[in-house]
Amino acid sequence: MPGEIVGYLGPNGAGKSTTIKMMTGVLEPTSGEIIVNGKVPYKNREANAQNIGVVFGQRTQLWWALPLVESFKILKDIYRISDKDYKDMLELYDSLIDIGDLYSKPIRQMSLGQRTLSDILAAFLHNPSVVFLDEPTIGLDVSMKAKIRNFISSLNQEKNTTVILTTHDMGDVDALCKRIIIIDKGTMLYDDDIENLRQFFGAYRTLKVNLNRRNTEVTEKMRTEQLSMVKKILSAQFVNIPFTYDTEEDWVSILIDESRIPLMKVLSYLQEQTTIYDVRLEEISTESVIKKIYENNEKDRKAI
Amino acid sequence: MKKLKFYIKIYFKILSQDIKSRMSYRSDFVISMIGMIFTNAAELAAFYIMFLNFPSVCGWTYYEMLFLYGFSLVALTPMQCLFENNWNLGGYVRRGDFIKYCFRPLNLFFYYFSEIFDIKGLGQLAMGIGTLVYTWHKLQLPVSPLILLELVIALVSASLFFIAIMNFAAGASFYLINTGFLIGTMSKFRDYAKYPVTIYSKGFRFLFTFIIPIAFIAYYPSLVIVRPDEISILTWLAPVFGIFFFYMSYKFWMYGARKYSGTGS
Repeated sequence: MPGEIVGYLGPNGAGKSTTIKMMTGVLEPTSGEIIVNGKVPYKNREANAQNIGVVFGQRTQLWWALPLVESFKILKDIYRISDKDYKDMLELYDSLIDIGDLYSKPIRQMSLGQRTLSDILAAFLHNPSVVFLDEPTIGLDVSMKAKIRNFISSLNQEKNTTVILTTHDMGDVDALCKRIIIIDKGTMLYDDDIENLRQFFGAYRTLKVNLNRRNTEVTEKMRTEQLSMVKKILSAQFVNIPFTYDTEEDWVSILIDESRIPLMKVLSYLQEQTTIYDVRLEEISTESVIKKIYENNEKDRKAI
Repeated sequence: MKKLKFYIKIYFKILSQDIKSRMSYRSDFVISMIGMIFTNAAELAAFYIMFLNFPSVCGWTYYEMLFLYGFSLVALTPMQCLFENNWNLGGYVRRGDFIKYCFRPLNLFFYYFSEIFDIKGLGQLAMGIGTLVYTWHKLQLPVSPLILLELVIALVSASLFFIAIMNFAAGASFYLINTGFLIGTMSKFRDYAKYPVTIYSKGFRFLFTFIIPIAFIAYYPSLVIVRPDEISILTWLAPVFGIFFFYMSYKFWMYGARKYSGTGS
């Protein structure tokens, strides 16, 4: 749907970038057909390029030696942006984000965050109907990530631009996307609202336990020990019930399917077997949902 | 026609911005200019020393040879200035960075080469023209609008040959993985271009005429001016061949670029 921000997810090597390359007309699909804005991108690469914006994280498309504003002036000519549209867009940028001295800085001297931001600004400059962002927040610090997310979402609202975003950062998904598509090895696993996704896995909850005394220095070794201990205890007692384990800081998190076994039962058994110093319960996060989907798919694959 | 005007406008826009930013690193510019002049001056000196020992090479006098040398310098300039980015192509393709050129509503070939204009080449051009004027005078060649026109056509077709050779060498990186040596080797061949092809043995003569046509970079086209009575049929065909050869190299390059899918990212 026009104006949507779609999260396009999948494990490494799933084919996300390949799909983007096909949608931008760089790569010819080996089978099937892709239509972007009513055109076949591979056959009309140049015409298609006029209506899309692309950012490949960590690979700037701007002129390395030129200050940002000079790059903008060249882009203005390449995309044949009228003086008025160009001026309006820059005003919009100024109202959304504090760019200030970035304009006069050559790309070469920018930090990764500034460079990514510049690339995103450049991708929206000609007011394309679709913008593809391939891992736009990769390698950025928290405040820059937030800045970029805010900027993308307000531009999307302001200009009604469709944004297709690939990422491994669930923060991006939570902050921006209403709809997500998950693929792996070239096949689609999920395509729906992010809300439905959570309901779909609503029976799952996360139990977090900490077996170590608070305020003690927890070493990496202690973490792995605590993880393997929890694993051992639970897998011995609850055979045939799959849990997903993870460590987060000092915590061991256990993803539990409550339709199979009540969470309290797991907790009380764990408590009988060992001393727990701290407990937390959490609704499932998007991150764990996605992880679950990847893992299920992996398992199905092996079963075949 | 409108499209051509558009492309020329874009080219000069990028060029002027590029030169502006380059000028802010003045010492870098000056040093590379000096380097260029010294390289060419050393070659000229070697030429001179050689001719201290031989009065002529295969019937070619010192000034005729110098004319060929100047001619080749001028003919090599367009490659040096406009198509310099050929040298970087292998790296871009290997690292998967080439993809960044694929998202603009412009011809890929044009957009790729518009990125770099090597201003050093102008130093080479100046030396080449200087040498041509000097030898023209020494050889007492006639000056008429017709012969100047012939010179320009000869120079343009010679340039097209060298650009095409380099396009082929660089474009190979779309098809094969490690082609860094190829462009280096091809570029070395231009050192043989400044001698009359008649000094080489039959096998090399064939090689330099039909396989790696460096004989067209200076020898065949400049016959028109230096030795009008020795003109070979290949001299007259040079402009046609040049255009055709360049067109083929463009097709080869573009086909490779379109097939190229970029490494994973």
